[in-house]
Amino acid sequence: MIRAYYEIAKSQVKLDFAYGAWFWSSMVSSILQMLVLFYFWRAVYANGPSELHGYKLDDMITYMVVASMIGGYTNGAGGKLAEDIRGGLVAIELMRPYDQLSKLVALDLGGKFGYFLRNTVPILVLAFLFFHINLPPSWGAAAMFPLSTALGVLIGAQFDLLVGIMAFYTVNIWGLRVLRDAVLLFFTGQLVPVMLFPEWLQSVNRFLPFQSMVYVPVSIYTGALRGAEAWVQVGIQAAWLLGVFLLVRWTWSRAMRKVTIFGG
Amino acid sequence: MIDVQNLSKQYQIAKRDPGLAGAVKSLFSRKYETKQAVQDISFQIQKGEMVGYIGANGAGKSTTIKMLSGILTPSSGVVRVNGIVPYENRRRNASQIGAVFGQRTQLFWDIPIRESYHLLKHIYQVPETEFQQRLEMFTDVLDLGPLLGIPVRQMSLGQKMRAELAAAFLHNPAVVFLDEPTIGLDVAVKDRIRAFIREMNRQQETTVILTTHDMQDIEEICNRIIIIDGGKILYDGALQAIKERFGDKRTIHFDLEKNDGFTIPYALATRVEQVVSHREAAGKSNSISLSFNNAEITAAEVISEMMQAYTIRDLTIDEVHIEQIVKDIYERGL
Ligand SMILES: Nc1ncnc2c1ncn2[C@@H]1O[C@H](COP(=O)(O)OP(=O)(O)OP(=O)(O)O)[C@@H](O)[C@H]1O
Ligand SMILES: [Mg+2]
Repeated sequence: MIRAYYEIAKSQVKLDFAYGAWFWSSMVSSILQMLVLFYFWRAVYANGPSELHGYKLDDMITYMVVASMIGGYTNGAGGKLAEDIRGGLVAIELMRPYDQLSKLVALDLGGKFGYFLRNTVPILVLAFLFFHINLPPSWGAAAMFPLSTALGVLIGAQFDLLVGIMAFYTVNIWGLRVLRDAVLLFFTGQLVPVMLFPEWLQSVNRFLPFQSMVYVPVSIYTGALRGAEAWVQVGIQAAWLLGVFLLVRWTWSRAMRKVTIFGG
Repeated sequence: MIDVQNLSKQYQIAKRDPGLAGAVKSLFSRKYETKQAVQDISFQIQKGEMVGYIGANGAGKSTTIKMLSGILTPSSGVVRVNGIVPYENRRRNASQIGAVFGQRTQLFWDIPIRESYHLLKHIYQVPETEFQQRLEMFTDVLDLGPLLGIPVRQMSLGQKMRAELAAAFLHNPAVVFLDEPTIGLDVAVKDRIRAFIREMNRQQETTVILTTHDMQDIEEICNRIIIIDGGKILYDGALQAIKERFGDKRTIHFDLEKNDGFTIPYALATRVEQVVSHREAAGKSNSISLSFNNAEITAAEVISEMMQAYTIRDLTIDEVHIEQIVKDIYERGL
């Protein structure tokens, strides 16, 4: 059955490559976005202090570039799920011998592979060759970063499914998605480092899953989180992943009960 | 193969008063109305049978099929498909059934169907050689060759339907549910689809349950029919018996040159009856509809007698509609 999910993911990769124009335009737009970020923060530092909460210019550029790189992965298959729910496909899919949620995750992972080639690779090239962003402070941080990133991406994917499932209960899934995008952009630390938030907001954020998606892996990369503290945060990420995963399963099984009893 | 006992399904429909006030009220208290879609039905279907499941719109056909395929949980009663209870053991049931829902596509929307089939092969774990063999045969019988490279998104209804049908049979399911597989298709495509279904049944002994509003589908595919109306079974038995009783009923509509005091020609009087059809109601007063039993008198005879007595501009012969048969059974009994 793993093979089936793998093939499903592969089909999504092929599909993404089939739309050539979209592939290139998406690549160009992510490069442009990086350039805007770069020059924006240069301008901020040129006219202001040489340090913001301990972030020098190169620290800030490093943070922003890595954060936007990871931030691109905080979505998931929720949009597709919502579409399937509204189109009634979810009921029909009950006749497939696979697990629908796992299938959606497989599709999403396939999509993310395409995204990696199209957006992350050019950003990496740009970041190291032109922006000269900092390297992680240690081999330990370099090794922990992918682990923490993977956890963050998976949390984002599950959270997105959770938003998608809401399509069972509300017609206005679009509004919910816009809200989700705004919340994620800000609270994950993609827009500005969480360290720059006012103190009270930082405390609130500590109890939310969002900083696990972006801020934690980026801080491990930059070295702001290190040693035991870093491991604690990775542990918290794992806990959030489990929590959101279970919540998704639970809402899903409730929704399925509704579908199979009320007929959708 | 399929065992259905005292199966019932009620839908709960949220009732709402009209207007804004109703919408607001429904936020606080919801009233539900129950809709009995299927009521205490029982039947057994043996391996390799091809059964037509027919009835008027809203009779409960799709509801029954959904319960058999595990999409809906019954309100009461028991279903077993090959020994498995579909709604309790969804994924196990899924690998032994195939289905086509006429109004819905199950193929992957954006990818060429060849890739879709390839994916289904993995999803249903079909061995490669079997897969190749089957795909070859399907391509042949359903004429899929030119379509394999195209995604469903870009297909016409008829093309889509053929592609769907192949997908439903790809894993060689023991039971296939076909919910209006020929809806909206032209005669040539219908023929191909029927031939395909018969061929699969002959080769693999696939059990087929088919809902349709097309009498021709039933005649060419099924050896048994179950008629359902208002959620209850009206008839379950051989197709032949029903046809002998009702299927030979014909109606011919004549368009007369002029109509001043029409009477049925003497030679026909005992065997033909004049009926009021929707045409006369629509104000075409020169139209006359005659109904008769094909076993007693042939259409040719009726037409020739009429042509001797009147000047006829045009005529049409009505096909036998399942709806009509169902209505007759309902009104007059068997
Ligand atoms: N999801 C649902 N919620 C509430 N009522 C439903 C639902 N689905 C079907 N019904 C009702 O149940 C009854 C049976 O519907 P069903 O779809 O089984 O009919 P059918 O025999 O397939 O008709 P058709 O020939 O039009 O496809 C109808 O009165 C219909 O309005
Ligand atoms: Mg139906």
